[in-house]
Amino acid sequence: MGDLFLPEVARIASMRDETPDTRTFALRLRDDRRHDSFSFRPGQFLELSVFGFGEAPFCFASSPTRPDSIETTVRRTGQLTNALHTLAVGDEVGLRGPCGNGFDVEAARGKDLLFVGGGIGLPPLRGLIWNVLDERDRFGRIQILYGARTPTDLVYKDELRTWAARGDLELLVTVDRGESGWTGNVGMVPTLFDKTELRPATTLAYVCGPPIMIKFVVQDLLMRGFAEESVISTLERMMQCGVGKCNHCAIGHCYICRDGPVFNFKQIRELVE
Amino acid sequence: MRPANDVQGRDPGASRLLVKSDLVSWIRRLMDDAEVIAPAAGAGGDLMFGPVTDPASVWLGPGNPLQPPKQFVLPQTDPIVRIERNGGGVQVSSISDERARVIFGMRSCDARGMAYLRRMQATDLPDDSYLRRADRIAVVTLACTTPCTLGFCVCCDAGPFARDGHDVQLVDLGDRFLAEGATERGRAMVADAPFRPATQGDVVRRDELEREAERHFGDESAHLGAAMRRISTRRVAEELWEAMSPWCFECGGCNFICPTCYCFSVKDRCQDHGWERCRTWDSCQYSAFTLEASGHNPRERRKERIKRRFFHKVSAQYYQRDGAVGCVGCGRCVQTCLGTTDMPAVVAAIRKGVWHG
Repeated sequence: MGDLFLPEVARIASMRDETPDTRTFALRLRDDRRHDSFSFRPGQFLELSVFGFGEAPFCFASSPTRPDSIETTVRRTGQLTNALHTLAVGDEVGLRGPCGNGFDVEAARGKDLLFVGGGIGLPPLRGLIWNVLDERDRFGRIQILYGARTPTDLVYKDELRTWAARGDLELLVTVDRGESGWTGNVGMVPTLFDKTELRPATTLAYVCGPPIMIKFVVQDLLMRGFAEESVISTLERMMQCGVGKCNHCAIGHCYICRDGPVFNFKQIRELVE
Repeated sequence: MRPANDVQGRDPGASRLLVKSDLVSWIRRLMDDAEVIAPAAGAGGDLMFGPVTDPASVWLGPGNPLQPPKQFVLPQTDPIVRIERNGGGVQVSSISDERARVIFGMRSCDARGMAYLRRMQATDLPDDSYLRRADRIAVVTLACTTPCTLGFCVCCDAGPFARDGHDVQLVDLGDRFLAEGATERGRAMVADAPFRPATQGDVVRRDELEREAERHFGDESAHLGAAMRRISTRRVAEELWEAMSPWCFECGGCNFICPTCYCFSVKDRCQDHGWERCRTWDSCQYSAFTLEASGHNPRERRKERIKRRFFHKVSAQYYQRDGAVGCVGCGRCVQTCLGTTDMPAVVAAIRKGVWHG
């Protein structure tokens, strides 16, 4: 890599509001040839430049099985994300990556898959979910458990309906607090474990969400018989370079941007700091 | 302490002699082809590394500048990407700096520091622009025949004579320098007149000086290996880090003057018609170093940050990742720390399990 820090210019191809503060951006590299040859794995991330504001890491929210679209879902939280949310379709941003290890899709072949997402934790799983759905016959049972604070905070509402309508997967959605008109589950994500059949021996569990959710979900999965190696999560830290040089995202001697962001729970437990 | 070198087995052609009265003309000749950087007294009298304009001002006496020469491979603010806006949209391009440079009069600790930084930048994903800049720098070290006040390079195998990271090593023999070419580039630098071959006696004297210098350092003051055993296996009590934290003022000085510290942030700096994306020094001792946009901070407490610094410096995990201990024994953190959380003090605390402040 001759130009470790050089971004490529991309245009915002389309945008979709997911919640009042979260938006999905579809990006297209300005150079068509580069766009067509761009490849990534689900679970990897990109360094997105908002010129003048710097760059920040965001996971790919789309699947490599649908290469036309490079999508990322971003919540408005700080200076850069606020600036990103003011951009319009056609505006130029920078894209650097893919960075990080990503999910090992090959290792999941033939397995039952359990996806557990919380709030803005669904986007990193969405790329993997579409990847396995696009190659549906290579995987066993698929369960998706998803929760958010309120029905408004659920992302990909249309897709949740699409998934619910499919007969080849099980989708359970819950919210911490209902709103008027909400007839679904109310309760934290772990409450969904009592509403479905888990098969720990044959299942890989992918868990993404806020730290407090991950803590309880992982605890419950281990308690219910999942091996530590079968519980897979993505870690986050304040990140700058994305290429293992700047040291911001270090936990112990591991760099989230290079050794991660995907780790199984056994690896996470062994991170010494 | 390493065994004395076998004089007989050494390549006699590698050692050359330079009469001190020829030093200025040699530096002048180096200046024809490269920017020469060397220690000299600054406006306030402090020693600083800087580009040489007058070869006679180059200081080759005792002492080492408080700022190590890392700023010439990793500048405090380092433009890496140019972002320009014009009619056709945004154009981005890499900024590289491949000036030929000679850093002259560097000490063995700093040469080891440069070698450490280069190895770190070359491993895993190599940062080619860093490497191109670093590889255009020739390093001429001056062996420390007199120990400096605060240094403990003998504890890190980083001195007092250079082992790696240099092209030429000068050894002060009184009225002349012994000049050892350590690389092909270094041997070429000392090949021609006014350099002449060294005698067997000069080489014997050089080895005596090295052994004397090592003896003068006295007992080891930083037992890094002992600290490594404890910190790598989580055998340092949390209370110890807690006890240290009132002694750190979070100034970042230890990071900025450390020859092996390389942590940075990336920022866009406004320019005409666009921006320059810059790599800027950062400090793991600042609470904002790990502060996330959500407000969550995994190293919110100062004790966690001090622990982080020393985990990176001396743990076995990082010894394996970075290929060496992250300390070259230059003693600058001892000099600059407003409190006492410098390397020898913290290493002693880790080893003994007691903090004296």
